[in-house]
Amino acid sequence: MLHILEPGLKSTIQDAGRFGFYHMGVPPAGAADKYSFLLGNVLLGNPRHYAGLEMMMKGPVIEFQKKTVIVLTGAPADATLNGEKLPLWQPAAVSPGDVLAVGNIREGVFTYLAVSGGLATPEMLGSRSACFASGFTGVLGRMLLKGDFLPLNEPLPGVLRQVGKRVPEEALPAFSRELDLHLVLGITSDRISDEGLTGLLNKEWTIHTQSNRVAYRLHGGRVRYVKEDAPFGSGNSPGNIVDIPYPIGGVIVPNEEELIILLNDGTGGGGFVTTGTVISTDLSLLAQAKPQSKVRFHAVTVDQAFQLRREQEQLIEKVKSMIQQA
Amino acid sequence: MLIFPETRFDFCGDEYIYAEISKDMRIESNFKAISITNELRNRDIPGMIEIYPGNASYLIRYDPNEISPYHLLDYLQEIDQQKSDRSELNFSSRIIEIPVWYNDTITEKTMKKYQHLQPEAGGDDFTFVMKANGFTDKDAFISAHSSTPYFITSLGFKPGTAWGFPLGVRNDKVIQAPKYKSPRAYTPGEAVGVGGAFTVVYPTESTGSYQLIGLSAVPVYDPGQSLSVFHDSFFLAKPGDLWKYRPITEAEFYNIREEVKKRTYEYKIKPVQFSVEQYDEKGTTYISQLMEGF
Repeated sequence: MLHILEPGLKSTIQDAGRFGFYHMGVPPAGAADKYSFLLGNVLLGNPRHYAGLEMMMKGPVIEFQKKTVIVLTGAPADATLNGEKLPLWQPAAVSPGDVLAVGNIREGVFTYLAVSGGLATPEMLGSRSACFASGFTGVLGRMLLKGDFLPLNEPLPGVLRQVGKRVPEEALPAFSRELDLHLVLGITSDRISDEGLTGLLNKEWTIHTQSNRVAYRLHGGRVRYVKEDAPFGSGNSPGNIVDIPYPIGGVIVPNEEELIILLNDGTGGGGFVTTGTVISTDLSLLAQAKPQSKVRFHAVTVDQAFQLRREQEQLIEKVKSMIQQA
Repeated sequence: MLIFPETRFDFCGDEYIYAEISKDMRIESNFKAISITNELRNRDIPGMIEIYPGNASYLIRYDPNEISPYHLLDYLQEIDQQKSDRSELNFSSRIIEIPVWYNDTITEKTMKKYQHLQPEAGGDDFTFVMKANGFTDKDAFISAHSSTPYFITSLGFKPGTAWGFPLGVRNDKVIQAPKYKSPRAYTPGEAVGVGGAFTVVYPTESTGSYQLIGLSAVPVYDPGQSLSVFHDSFFLAKPGDLWKYRPITEAEFYNIREEVKKRTYEYKIKPVQFSVEQYDEKGTTYISQLMEGF
């Protein structure tokens, strides 16, 4: 069991996501910074989808009631184990009675706790991820509360060998207040004027404080629509389209002065002009960007998007092979 | 005769393919979207993670580590060709009755609270929508909204939210409404809203931008599965179903709510085979035929 002594600001259970129900309006949910989350599981030799904790801005205080191995990944946080500094990205053994305190998260937004064998909390529609929009009961529909007890699975074979190992420097993500995001243009970008695309790509955008796991909002540039009538069935404003299924990472233009980029709790569909999709590897970076961070967009071809994905995949494989050595 | 537009495909980032059948809402685009996505679901192709029919489009999420995006695109184009033949388009559908208290006093409170968001409606969405569609009489408007079944074109927004588009109605007679330009922070669960050419029932309390015209007495989403209709699925709606709104009084509304609470409510449902070919040939006559005995 994990005994939650203090819940932190907004801690939730997350795994790799809930799939197969997006078309019924159920968001995938899952870790916002998938890359850091995955590395946590990889470092412990867990399968990639095993559930852990996602902690936002200020982490929880947790008492362990089982002997196991844990690792913290993601945004740098002031973490201690029994009062002693606990470094991120480095598996550590814990025993019953040990207390982990994850304090303030300094750069970035989300820090992750992975546990060998994963959390054994209830599943809904094939996932343990909490999703506030879904109306699920218990820890599946809310943040953690003081006094929660979260069951753990048994630690996996060989995990004690991982204690003290470290992620190679090159695989560590950067946490920055200036981001370069790659997007593939398309979807309904024909409703954006040439001038509008220039406004999207050549201007610096700022992440608004009203940003969360559902979507990040950005201001600062101006994206002009083309001057033509909205199609039948869409409503009647130039920013309306006949409602479409939105991809996660979709760059939505609800009015000419705002961008909405959907994250993993994103609402499945809607009727605003959508001009492209941020590539999956960059969504982890975006999720970790604090409000007021600056963003520049770079249009890439779909082949470039696959190449960037492969490069990240190779880094994960590298960590995995390090872990699997005797 | 239905003519199916050519689908335009687009890669979205590195995990999605978006297929746009038409930009404007045409029921034939939706027939095609549902039919293709049903077919894909049946084929159960490894690496395909989400198969999502939209109103006039569809979206596929895939794992590029498992399936080549370019092979997948070829494959989708092939199925798209095949499903451009109307005789290929048949659905196992259900007609479901949704009892609605139109122009109710509960959503009225919400509209009043948010009337600053659209001053032109004066805090009365019902009358705003009624007038915008050329009606002066409330009963005539309610009758127009509830006389024909709505085809469930897709789901999204929040779990269980289903878009419905009226069958057998000329475009210029379809009840339409603009959306709130800035969304409400709150909408009561089960509120009935109109936005664009679509009617939805809000499954749970949520934000919202559709004009509110009534309140459903019955739930459309139930993750607790308290009513028998939800035993196989949390979601009442399935793309391809037909929803028939039935106007009810305030008294009847509370009677049904009581039955729902006691878990004794039985939805009125009729399974039908929906044939696009027959709909195309016989139009409203075909709909009357489907609705027989309902």
